[in-house]
Amino acid sequence: MNTLSFDAKRCERIRQQLDSYLSNELLVETASEVVRHLESCENCSRDLESRMRVRDALQRAFANRPVPDGIRADVLHKLRESQPRSFVRVGARRWALGLAAVAFVLLGLFAAEWLNLRRGEQLIASILKLGVNDHLICTIKGHNYPETPNPPDQIRKKLGPRYAPLLQVVQERLPGFEVLEGHLCSIPGSDRKYVHFITRGQSTIVSVILTERNGASLPTGKILASAESAGLNIYQDHLSGMEIAGFQSAQYFAFVVSDLSQRQMLQLAQGLAPALNEKLHTTALMPTPNTNNWAVDSVNRPILTETPECHEKSRCEVREQRQNG
Amino acid sequence: MPHLSDLYRTASLLLRDRHEAEDLIQDTYLEAWKSFHRFELGTNCRAWLFKIMFHRLHHVRRRLVKTSRLMTIEGPDGQDELAAEPVVPQEIRDEDVLNALEKVAVEFREIVLLADVEEFSYKEIAETLKIPLGTVMSRLSRGRKLLRQELAEVARSYGINPRTKQAGATETA
Repeated sequence: MNTLSFDAKRCERIRQQLDSYLSNELLVETASEVVRHLESCENCSRDLESRMRVRDALQRAFANRPVPDGIRADVLHKLRESQPRSFVRVGARRWALGLAAVAFVLLGLFAAEWLNLRRGEQLIASILKLGVNDHLICTIKGHNYPETPNPPDQIRKKLGPRYAPLLQVVQERLPGFEVLEGHLCSIPGSDRKYVHFITRGQSTIVSVILTERNGASLPTGKILASAESAGLNIYQDHLSGMEIAGFQSAQYFAFVVSDLSQRQMLQLAQGLAPALNEKLHTTALMPTPNTNNWAVDSVNRPILTETPECHEKSRCEVREQRQNG
Repeated sequence: MPHLSDLYRTASLLLRDRHEAEDLIQDTYLEAWKSFHRFELGTNCRAWLFKIMFHRLHHVRRRLVKTSRLMTIEGPDGQDELAAEPVVPQEIRDEDVLNALEKVAVEFREIVLLADVEEFSYKEIAETLKIPLGTVMSRLSRGRKLLRQELAEVARSYGINPRTKQAGATETA
């Protein structure tokens, strides 16, 4: 692939979109165009990776920044002091009423936060965003699945010994869905690898996506909703027109992505989570898959999926775009 | 107390004095308490608290502006996007990125924090800072680029040429 032949103007246009792409503010179509370009352009892909590296470093440094121990007490003290002067001098009853008022407001803030979690106006972690892009690009846009399900043995072979056992869990725990495809894939511009199952049921396509946590956690303040399934919190969000529901195990994030309703997605995730979590626990102990399972392009960068068909399709899309452009 | 840590960390990165940051947080919760009747249950509590904090912060800033190093760096951006793209180091330490951030002018720094750390949407940032959406986008783009430039400077100060290092890494990948 000759990346140098790319039009510099196109690179410039794409790079002007990278900030909005990084903030997940692009329309799906524009985001897809950016991803397609990144797949073919090493320089822009490296640029995005650099920007993501800075953002990740900033988030990490921010989270590690210490907060003074006494600040909560100071805030409460100030709230108490802000009461009318008589508040301090009067008897215990009014003092207690004042404290109760403070407690009520704080309780209100907690309740508001809880409601907010339910409504889900927060953005979700970039890891999930990439996962959604994986679903959008690999499944919806790329249509990288057959009409008739690939044979289980073929899927297991693509997954490698480490992840092949997960196939049975997905088959059994998503009743009414058939597994069309399973493979390992990656989004250009990111080193993150995904285990990707593509299933069909309820008149739509649902992706089951897993990726290693590498020490990261789903941010508790930025999650749409939570529920429990066998002691696992189930997280939900809506991103790029897709519903997401998933959980984190000791070492993995696992989530389902599709255009089904929130309620349906929650049910799917709740059905999948316990068995998948258990299997992931044993999977994590197995050796890392052979890196040959990951497809790379001419500059040794992971391509969208490891199947030859996907590789060709991605190239075709780029060629079409060039011709149309 | 919801979001106190996030609010404090943000304040401490926007004000140069730790005590000012603590005062700002106390004022923020006090203001939230007083105006709690105006808060609409079910709306975004975190965004509401940040909005209050930045409202208070702008008061503080107006007081500081005469002596501070606030810079106004508004102008066309992106024209030299390809040529001037800074190359940041592969490994970034916490102190490096925070030192670099501190050198970014505060009007860009606050947007980088709101967008990249707090992950607010452009619309939420525009409402929090009371600035147009287009200004959010241009300042975020500029702020991120300034941060990358500062990080590239950090790498150079350590005697590392990140461009060389990255090019080498690509060749051997």
